[in-house]
Amino acid sequence: MENKLIYSSSPHIKSPRTTRKIMLDVCVALLPATIIGIIYFGLYALLLVALSVISAVVGEYVYLLAAGKSFKEITENFDFSSVITGLLIGLTIGTNYPFYAPIFGSLFAIIAVKMLFGGTGKNIVNPAIAGRIFMFISFQWAVGAVWLVPSIGSIYGETVATSATAVVDVSKGVVPNISLLDMLLGTGMQGCIGETCKVALLIGGIYLACRRVINLVYPLIFIALTGFATVVICGFDFSMFLPSILSGGLILGAIFMATDYTTTPNTKAGNIIYFAFLGILLAVLRYATKMETVSFAILLMNLVVPLIDKFILNKPFGYKKSQKTKGAKL
Amino acid sequence: MSIRKPRHFPFGSKIHGTKLSNKCPIVKAPAPERVYISVSQHIGAPAIPVVSIGDKVKKGTLIAEASGAISANVYSSVSGTVSDICDIVNGLNQKQKHIVIDNDFTDEEETFSNFNDFEPETLVNRIRLAGIVGLGGAGFPTAAKLTPKNPLDTLIINGAECEPYLTCDYRLMIEKTEEIYKGIKYVARALNVKKIIIGIERNKPRAIEAFATYSDLDVVSLKKQYPMGSEKHLIYVTTGRKVPPGKMPFDVKCCVQNIKTVLAAYYAIEYGKPLTESVLTVSGHGIKEPKNVQVLIGTPFSELIKFCGGTEDAVKIVAGGPMMGKALVNLNHYVRKTDSGLLCLKNTETSTQSPSNCINCGLCARKCPMRIMPMYIESFALSGNFKEAERYGAMNCIECGLCAYNCPAKRALVQSISFAKSKIKEMKNGK
Repeated sequence: MENKLIYSSSPHIKSPRTTRKIMLDVCVALLPATIIGIIYFGLYALLLVALSVISAVVGEYVYLLAAGKSFKEITENFDFSSVITGLLIGLTIGTNYPFYAPIFGSLFAIIAVKMLFGGTGKNIVNPAIAGRIFMFISFQWAVGAVWLVPSIGSIYGETVATSATAVVDVSKGVVPNISLLDMLLGTGMQGCIGETCKVALLIGGIYLACRRVINLVYPLIFIALTGFATVVICGFDFSMFLPSILSGGLILGAIFMATDYTTTPNTKAGNIIYFAFLGILLAVLRYATKMETVSFAILLMNLVVPLIDKFILNKPFGYKKSQKTKGAKL
Repeated sequence: MSIRKPRHFPFGSKIHGTKLSNKCPIVKAPAPERVYISVSQHIGAPAIPVVSIGDKVKKGTLIAEASGAISANVYSSVSGTVSDICDIVNGLNQKQKHIVIDNDFTDEEETFSNFNDFEPETLVNRIRLAGIVGLGGAGFPTAAKLTPKNPLDTLIINGAECEPYLTCDYRLMIEKTEEIYKGIKYVARALNVKKIIIGIERNKPRAIEAFATYSDLDVVSLKKQYPMGSEKHLIYVTTGRKVPPGKMPFDVKCCVQNIKTVLAAYYAIEYGKPLTESVLTVSGHGIKEPKNVQVLIGTPFSELIKFCGGTEDAVKIVAGGPMMGKALVNLNHYVRKTDSGLLCLKNTETSTQSPSNCINCGLCARKCPMRIMPMYIESFALSGNFKEAERYGAMNCIECGLCAYNCPAKRALVQSISFAKSKIKEMKNGK
């Protein structure tokens, strides 16, 4: 007979799903957008993405080493969430950013936003969002107003030169002079590395939904409500619907950033409220600031999540409203 | 009656895991030389020994008597001499009084006297006398369940067997269909109910067919979904009634009985045999020959393992199913009435990963069949805030293990919640 038996509480079998596998799935889902971004914007885009990923991972290692963990221990427990953060930071900047911007952005995101709060799962806001906003505010002087045109032109043969990420100028109620197909494929569009090609992002989203990492209904609520709210703001101009959802970083933000487990509510009802408010808030912010504000909207709603979680809870099975059970009350 | 579809229940989930001993007929394990019978094989007060060292007993002799309404008689499972009555620390690290009987292999048997009275009260009395308890695992004395305060209208037979690996109920259902059917009729008579529902999971088509031949049974083919065998959920999918939090099945006029319990009731009523045997599934990849074994109560687990060819790289021994069973610290454990499985799990089957941070994915709450929120209860339990844990529904937990099974961070959610439950109970008793 064996000398050693493992003693633990039930259950004795566990599902094969682990945190690391989930995070790797998200990395895989981001690959199409990354590859297309590099094709569109060239090798400098690759440099930016690589730098942001490397500095995010190095940042996590350095922090944990400083906290007294051994290298082997960190590698064993490495869950790839910092790779996602790095990737998202690289994908949400344009090629007009200086090469050191993603380094500072990633380090800020990992150390100040994630690790200082306790690591994976403990952060209050999405680190990638915070990193992007950090870069957006810090490196405005270096970016200027120049946006680089991707190497692949519009399929209609005309280069587009509008505002930063081809945000619909909802304040004027004018549909920008870009074809919807161009917006969908990202051809001839200016913008951040990863957010121009919506098809690649949607492929990633469908992959995540198939792997049951995210529920695609929630991002769709976000996207659809942004469209409808824009339509309402523009005085029921339904021609604004598609341009408003296809422009800017909305799809990237909705699929990959707003759905971050840590910063979303835990209940079905809570999630619907969270994503619905995101959509409305984004439309309003876009209208008010005349800028692309996906990351700001997500950041603001992240901060509301604890409040949603406090007031919206699941009712135990068999619970009836009339019944005053102590355990079932909020 | 035709086979009926169950009501949809959107919670719970499918779980991985195989039934290795699906096709193994039930075999009888040889009687051991010595049996160790615990006096506390049920929920409630332990039985009081009525024999002393040196006494001659037969198979079926009363050796310990129930000590109250929620307690059960214990009978000798072999004929021989009582050699010791002592406290033994069993494989679950619980100190319990055991009655040790040396087997003389004469197989003399003692049964209750026959009678022809089939009034409900006599039936209940005989079930009480035979020491029958809920054999699904909880071990609640069956007679207490059969004497509800207000009249019931439905008897539900639990043939779900939703835990992976376990196959003993399935084998019993197809091998002893007639006996189980008669047992069901007796129990229904004892309860004085007309409507009998039997719920069987769809992965047991042979069992469903077998019971569909009886016209007075309402056979429900349950979805293969864990935890279908939980009382509250079985009642919901078969009748549509919801048991409110903190209430029992009899509050919604239902009574749920396990397959093995009704079979034991049949033997007690028809032949006057007390409960001295159990059917166990010995399974897991760590055992050489997985089997369904009919075994005497009090048989050491080590004998059972020997009977099944011994173990092979087993790192964990579990009494019961893989989801709700308890791991054993050693093999000094003896078959009890409520045992339904003995699993020897290999390293590849059982998870040995250490827990990491909760990533707040919400999977535990999404899968929870009781719709409580394990992640909050866990964090409150770990920080010692049991009042808050109760507010979040800790007392509703049925400890099915789905939250911890699904947790990607491999956190020991069930452990924390049951810790919180025991602390909350302590708090309430202290007041």
